[in-house]
Amino acid sequence: MGLLTLLRKLKKSEKEFRILVLGLDNAGKTTALKKLADEDITHTMPTQGFNIKSVIHEGFKLNVWDIGGQKTIRPYWRNYFDQTDALVFVIDCSDHRRMDETGVELNQLLDEEKLAGVPLLIFANKQDLMNAMGPDEVTEVLGLTNIRDRAWHIQPCSAKTGEGLQGGMEWLVKNINKS
Amino acid sequence: MKLKRFLLRYYPPGIILEYETNAELKQKTIDLLDLTVETDVEVLLNRIVRQEPLITESKRPHVRKLLYKLIEKQDCQESQQFYLFKILRAHILPLTNCAFNKNGDKFITGSYDRTCKVWNTLTGEELLTLEGHKNVVYAIAFNNPYGDKVITGSFDKTCKVWNSETGELYHTLRGHATEIVCLSFNPQGSIISTGSMDNTAKLWDTETGVELCTLIGHTAEIVSLSFNQTGDKLITGSFDHTTKLWDVRSGRCIHTFQGHRGEISSCQFDWEGGKCITGSIDRTCKLWDVKSGQCINTLRGHSDEILDVSFNATGSRLVTASADGTARVYNTMTGACVSILVGHEGEISKVCFNPQGTKIITASSDKTCHIWSSDTGECLQILEGHIDEIFSCAFNYEGDTIITGSKDNTCRIWKC
Repeated sequence: MGLLTLLRKLKKSEKEFRILVLGLDNAGKTTALKKLADEDITHTMPTQGFNIKSVIHEGFKLNVWDIGGQKTIRPYWRNYFDQTDALVFVIDCSDHRRMDETGVELNQLLDEEKLAGVPLLIFANKQDLMNAMGPDEVTEVLGLTNIRDRAWHIQPCSAKTGEGLQGGMEWLVKNINKS
Repeated sequence: MKLKRFLLRYYPPGIILEYETNAELKQKTIDLLDLTVETDVEVLLNRIVRQEPLITESKRPHVRKLLYKLIEKQDCQESQQFYLFKILRAHILPLTNCAFNKNGDKFITGSYDRTCKVWNTLTGEELLTLEGHKNVVYAIAFNNPYGDKVITGSFDKTCKVWNSETGELYHTLRGHATEIVCLSFNPQGSIISTGSMDNTAKLWDTETGVELCTLIGHTAEIVSLSFNQTGDKLITGSFDHTTKLWDVRSGRCIHTFQGHRGEISSCQFDWEGGKCITGSIDRTCKLWDVKSGQCINTLRGHSDEILDVSFNATGSRLVTASADGTARVYNTMTGACVSILVGHEGEISKVCFNPQGTKIITASSDKTCHIWSSDTGECLQILEGHIDEIFSCAFNYEGDTIITGSKDNTCRIWKC
């Protein structure tokens, strides 16, 4: 990739979109990204910085930025806000204990000026686990129905099996094109 | 005119004469760019004595000694092996660029964590954290040869000027509309140039922090820039496929180097300032005549984008690094390919010569740096250990220490 590639990804052509993937640590962001890019997911380590992958979807090039979610590096998420076309927020639905923390982080993002009006896709991840909360429950716990300043959608999925990921991306591409 | 003393410049080799004329102290330089370990010292000595009035017969033994010293400095043992000296883990996000001061006792690293850190090369100790940018610190530089100032260019659109000893912030240079991605001091240290994704470059006065002028003309992002040694000219390489030559004093564009069929990735002046090179996404590197603005040569051979180009210290050779995973060394004069550096398993994003010009280091997405013989193209050593791709690498002035900056958030120091 190299530094020059990073610069080339800062600018973009018409058929390219910049997608920002955020969420708490261990939410499954990198696994989802790898699965979308058809890569092996067996050796996924906590992301210390970021990963970028380009995914072609229905003729559009999606440059997906997956940013590490550990608490110490969350303050740096805003490094990546510029020119974002869509925000993907990934939630570990089996982690009931941290649902409050999840809500706090999501609300902060929604208040960010640079992300104002940017379509929001929420991946309700880890649906393959027995104790995972369903999308309706997550919607209620996080009060998602209060979001009125942008298009948003919650998509149940399993980054591990890949189920639901494509559906989410379809919604995303459709809604970026609208805005 | 009275000769007061000699000063030596090792890389590129030269002897600087300090002399007095009309009670004023002045300097002039004898460039010895062709000096190698094979140079016949007596022949060279004769020539110098004949051509340089300041050097009289009586100075002959002294100058002979200086020449031997310079030759000794050009010799660099290929057998020297580098070992991992320290892993520096103070940055909490990926590194961008890294750079030494001329002395080599300090170096700096920029990071996605919005800081630039100043390090002690000898101990690996963190000396300073330059904090204040609101986004990624991407481009960094010392005001070499002095080394008492550091400039940092950020995605937050500003450039900051710092005291490298105390960390004091002298100036914040505001004016660019988008990310600053390349910058440089002029060799005299008096002027700073910044290049931005806003398609412009700017010149600033180092002392006052005042903007001197905006270089307008490119129609796309500027990603690389370079001053000539005298500091009166600047080149800027752009995603608009061209490189422009600017007159620093007036801010006027002198030439536009046209011919590449893809974005420019890197550009550099040679030491003497008569030529410059540009590397492009179009897989070629072009050599330009600065005076006429004409392309002298187009160096082909890579099968993928060229991501970095660099001259050696004298300008006699240049190296190109490519996304095809190889680097190529060319003779500047003839355009002949001297060697092809094959061995990386991923694209090479940075390349540079050691100051002696005998070795080349390449940084790759395969998480390694390779050290090569520039003559034979043989891989002399592989620096392994980073756990993610390497974005930047640099030799110190002596050529016996290497630093590598990686996406794995660490910087590593390698010593002989």
